[in-house]
Amino acid sequence: MNSANMQSSSFTSRLRQYLIAFMLIASITAIFLVSRDVLDTTLIALLYLIPLGMITALWGLGPGIASALITFLTFNYFFIEPYFTFTVHHPADVVVLVVFLIVAVVISQLVARAQAGLAAATAREREATQLYELSTALTGLHDDHAIAQILAKQVHAFSQGEYVELNITGLQPFAFHLPETNQPFRAPELVVPIQAPRGNLGEIRLWRAAPAISFGEKRLLQTFASQGALALERAWLAQAESRARILEESDRLKSAILSSVSHELRTPLSTIKAAASSLRGREVNWDSPARAELVAAIDDEADHLNMLVGNLLDMSRIESGALKPKREWNILPEIVGSVLARMKHLAEEHQIEVDVPESLPLVPVDYTQMEQVFTNLVSNSLKYAPANTVVGIRARVEDESIHAQVSNQGPQVPPEDLDRIFDKFYRITAADRVTGAGLGLSICKGIIEAHGGRIWAENVSDGLAFNFILPLAWDGAMSPQLPLDTETE
Amino acid sequence: MSSAPHILVIDDEQQILRAMRTILTEKQFKVTTATRGEEGLTLAATNEPDLIILDLGLPDMDGVEVCTRLREWTQCPIIVLSVRDSERDKVAALDQGADDYLTKPFGIEELLARVRVALRHSARAQGAQSKVVKAGLITIDLAWHIVKRGDEEIKLTGTEHKLLAYLAANHGRVLTHHSILTNVWGPADADHTEYLRVYMRQLRKKLEEDPERPQYILTEPGIGYRFIADE
Repeated sequence: MNSANMQSSSFTSRLRQYLIAFMLIASITAIFLVSRDVLDTTLIALLYLIPLGMITALWGLGPGIASALITFLTFNYFFIEPYFTFTVHHPADVVVLVVFLIVAVVISQLVARAQAGLAAATAREREATQLYELSTALTGLHDDHAIAQILAKQVHAFSQGEYVELNITGLQPFAFHLPETNQPFRAPELVVPIQAPRGNLGEIRLWRAAPAISFGEKRLLQTFASQGALALERAWLAQAESRARILEESDRLKSAILSSVSHELRTPLSTIKAAASSLRGREVNWDSPARAELVAAIDDEADHLNMLVGNLLDMSRIESGALKPKREWNILPEIVGSVLARMKHLAEEHQIEVDVPESLPLVPVDYTQMEQVFTNLVSNSLKYAPANTVVGIRARVEDESIHAQVSNQGPQVPPEDLDRIFDKFYRITAADRVTGAGLGLSICKGIIEAHGGRIWAENVSDGLAFNFILPLAWDGAMSPQLPLDTETE
Repeated sequence: MSSAPHILVIDDEQQILRAMRTILTEKQFKVTTATRGEEGLTLAATNEPDLIILDLGLPDMDGVEVCTRLREWTQCPIIVLSVRDSERDKVAALDQGADDYLTKPFGIEELLARVRVALRHSARAQGAQSKVVKAGLITIDLAWHIVKRGDEEIKLTGTEHKLLAYLAANHGRVLTHHSILTNVWGPADADHTEYLRVYMRQLRKKLEEDPERPQYILTEPGIGYRFIADE
């Protein structure tokens, strides 16, 4: 709708109001005229006040005053003797006329003022409702984009503007606009800054040519803007606070890690230092068996130290997302076999049962990392399961995935802790009973997840089982078929 | 060999140099040390050592580059040292002509074994190639394409034979996936590590007493394979 149209339509409606007012007065005058002989002049004057009040109440002061003047003339013309003239003979009638005019105008004004007061109250109520709706909608929002969206919607709904745009500055500036059309090719009719105590957070830009934006609307939009500013500040503060909390938490975790790690590192170091210094100090005879034992202790503890440092490095790479598996098509039984061959001397007290069929397809994994997964799971089983029990390793194909399991007959884990055993530095038993920094299982989890798989622990009838699933497809391709030659020379 | 073999050690850590010098001198080697890549390259050119032990983590230049520049003019065996988790660097150095690698921290027996293999291999490269390789009960006749366990001949397919011949001819040395694939299958198949996995497994089943605990064909995780023969 363009502005010329809008203006002409409002003009027509006002014209209609005047016409209806005059017609109302005319018809009432006609009724009075018929019963002029029975009705007293003062009574007629009183009765005339009724339509006047109605007109003012319905259409305001303009039609009211105009009707009052016309009624005054009509009353004089038809009902004050001599009839059908504007002359007045009786001085009493002059008084009646003057009083009538004054009363008519005063009533019109009073009614109009009451009307205006009512309209203002309604407008204020509407504003209050809008503000209430806005602040309700903004409550509990912690996302600046959502806040901008709500604010733009409310501004658009309230102003009935053609186009509303919100520009939010700050760390990551962004804009939001309504409706989803292109911005009009002209400057916005109103720009309201979104002002917060800390400074300017952006602005609301409103395009509405007609009706022109009133002072009240402008004031309300400013209130909208400050509500929006408060919500934005609240959201940003909450974000900053949660960032600070995360930092604090990770700081706390880091110092816990540091103290645990220093403790773990010191244990092998103490052994090495004691053994090396006693060898050096000639307290041990050159050819005594104790010497060989001390040398072996140094060697073993150095390996242990190396393993701890390696685990820490792996963990930090997993944490920083730098653990990128170097995938190749591998033979799972070969990986398991090589792990067991290397762990032979550690597994002397246990019975290891392997069920990893040769017929399994090739698996797309990082050889070294997958070796580490099996090493950690098996060594964890050996560590916790009592001597002379069975540690089982099995693998099957299920739904285009490899499902592998390492089970032991060791103590079960309380169901609520089954997930937590994959956390860093988590131990079920007291720290001094079992060596190791408690990183093995979380490294397994990191590696399996980097391969797109999933790992979990479950209590089985006679112990604990670690399960993991690895996808068999790699970049959409399944295990390759090989050009095997079976002919012998 | 007439005189004591001369070993050049290039490593920036003084403690490592100190230990290597002590141990290698004790084992009757002549030892020269360098702490930087450029210095190492100069010493290699002036001293003409019999073997170079090169750390890949040098302060002034990339160890792989030192390897490449050495290979431009000398076939002197190179053993690279590196820390764990740098498989990529190790493989790069090996593919650039390094003969073997050791991961820090390493045992001294391991170091001496690698040194012996590298020196023997370079002597062999200069002299006549031995035609028969023995590994435990296994005899591999490279000239006649015959593989025997004791007196019993082991039947191998064409590809298996080519693969075993390449491994045996380089026994004691680590061979990268890339070099095995290129030499046995050809450059076009250099990325198909799955071929290697499958054929190595077949070979092990035919050669090894316990294929799960191989004695002759060893896997070097993330790097390649190594064939262990009798000295």
